[in-house]
Order: sequence, then structure tokens, then C-alpha cells
Amino acid sequence: MSQRSKLRGTILVVAVSVAAVLAVKFFLGLSPRDTRSPDEMRAKGNKSAPIQITEFIDLECPACARGAEYLARMIVTHPETIRLELKYFPLPSHRHGLLAARYAECAARQEKFWPFQDALLARQANWSRLVDATPAFVLIAQEVSLDKDKLGACLNDKSVDALIQESRLEGERRGVKSTPTYYVNGKMVVGMQSLEPELERLLAEIKK
Amino acid sequence: MVIGGIFVVSGFEKLIGPYQNFLYIVQNYSFLPFLLAEFVARVLPWIEFFLGLFLLLGLWLKWTLRAVMVLVLMFMAVVMQALIRNLPIDECGCFGALLTVPLPVVLASDTTIFFLTWFLLSRRKEAERYSLDSYWAQNENA
Repeated sequence: MSQRSKLRGTILVVAVSVAAVLAVKFFLGLSPRDTRSPDEMRAKGNKSAPIQITEFIDLECPACARGAEYLARMIVTHPETIRLELKYFPLPSHRHGLLAARYAECAARQEKFWPFQDALLARQANWSRLVDATPAFVLIAQEVSLDKDKLGACLNDKSVDALIQESRLEGERRGVKSTPTYYVNGKMVVGMQSLEPELERLLAEIKK
Repeated sequence: MVIGGIFVVSGFEKLIGPYQNFLYIVQNYSFLPFLLAEFVARVLPWIEFFLGLFLLLGLWLKWTLRAVMVLVLMFMAVVMQALIRNLPIDECGCFGALLTVPLPVVLASDTTIFFLTWFLLSRRKEAERYSLDSYWAQNENA
């Protein structure tokens, strides 16, 4: 009799807890949602591509650099099929992440986001070790021919920080915690190991 | 109670967020194939949460304590292999975004939790005081 009521009590505890967790999850609205909101400056690929990727990136994160390399290859081989849009998500654990995002956004405002970002990620291993990464960023800015005066003014522009912050908050609202986090046609995918099979699956579906 | 609380918080934090975040952490430990990692990422937070809850309530204590010991041993093995292989993991991902804990600290705390659980198991009669188990046992005797 008692064993039976203990079992009943256990089932009740489990049921109430599951309901509570699901309710909190629902009300916090942390379930992955579609994030398609094209921002031309930080997007590349065919606008009406069947595979739309939004990436939350920290420019100092090594996994993001590897992911960017992989996605660049994929976009070259499937130019009509994949579109990528980047959103900033500088992590507090990376000391130059925010500054790198500022420079990248200023490059975007001169329509040179992609060459700047590619060079930045290609040399990430070098500048991420520096105490002050500013000279490295300035050098890359020169190499991709950013207007020096405009760059200086842009770096002091509060709207740059506001945009980065907004982007980060958007990521947090969607449940992003680490980088790189991708939304592939609205489905949340975290890290390269999950991105590769997801893209392969979608490409195979499209080929059919 | 403390061990139960740790497990509840750790499991709950993972459960209310997208499972993909925890999947990424599991993948970083590089010891499971993709599908198994996905299974672990979906199931493990529930196990942590319920073991913690059962510990807090004192439900099925004999089995819950044993399960906690097995789980903690598994955590220790996973963390140890990551340390031995020198995997680039800065923090364990144990509490999601709530708390950042480096791997050696995790190993030390897991070891402490393991021995505390062992101690509780060896003094189960005392651990069961004020538990739901003892409440039901008293009802049975009444």
C-alpha cells in the first residue's frame, strides 16, 4: 500500500517538475526561432537562396575562424544555394572580441566588411595573443583600404557600440550562449561539428 | 541538500535553454560520436535535474545516491580525459551561462561530491531523516 502511494507520489513529482520546466522554457521564449533579418552589409550570397544562415560570431573565437573558413568554401561551391548573414556576439571571455567587432562594423559601414573580416579571422591566432590588438586591426584596415578618417570617426560613433550590443542582446534572447551559433533556415546549430552535417543534409535534400 | 541543489540548478539551467548549447559543450569533450552526443545533450540535463530533485526531497535515496555516484564518476572520467588530452576547453559547461568553472576545479568538486555522496550512502539512515522516504516508511509501519 505504502509502496504504491510512494510510486504515485514519485509520478506526481516527476509530472509537476516536467510541467514546471516546460512552462518556464515556454515563458522565457528561449526556443530557437527564425532569425532571418537581412542586413546587407554583413550578408553574402544569393538573397533568395534556399539555405539561409544567420551566424552569431565572436571575431576572437578560434572555432568561429574555422567555421568562417568552412562557410566561405561552401558559399564558393554553392553560390546560389547558401546565404550567410553575420551578427556580432562578442564574448566577455575574449578581451579583443568587442574591439574587433567595432572595427568590423566600421569596415561594414565602408562596405568592406567581408575583406576585413576574412583578414581578421585569418590572422586571429596572431592578434588574439597581443595585449593591445589595435595596431593589428589598423594594419588590416589599411590593407583592405579603409578610409582612415572615416574609420576614426566611426570608432567613436556610439551607434556602433549600440548596434553590437543590440546584436548581442538579440542573440541572448534567442538562447545563444557560445560562438559560433548558427541559425540554418531558422534551426539553431551550435559549433562546426553540428553545422557540417546539417548543411550536408540540406544540400542533399535540395539536390533531390 | 547542497548536492541536490547543485544538480537541480545545473540541470534546470540546461533544460530551459536550447539543447544545442549543451550539445556544443558535449562535442567539445570529443569523446562521443555525433548522434550519441545529441542523445546525451537531450537526456543528461533531465537526469541531472531529477537526481537533484530526488536528493532534495529524499525520494528513493538508496538508488538516487548510487545513481549520483555513477554520474559523478562519469563526469570525472570525461573531465580527466579532456585534461589528459589537453583539449582546448576553458570551462566545463556544467552550469551553462550561470557559472564559469575551469576543468581542474570541476575535477576537484566532482571528487568532493563523490566522497560526500559515498558518506551519505554509508549513513543512509541519518540521511533519510526528514525525507519523503522516511515519511512513507512511517506510514507503512503505522
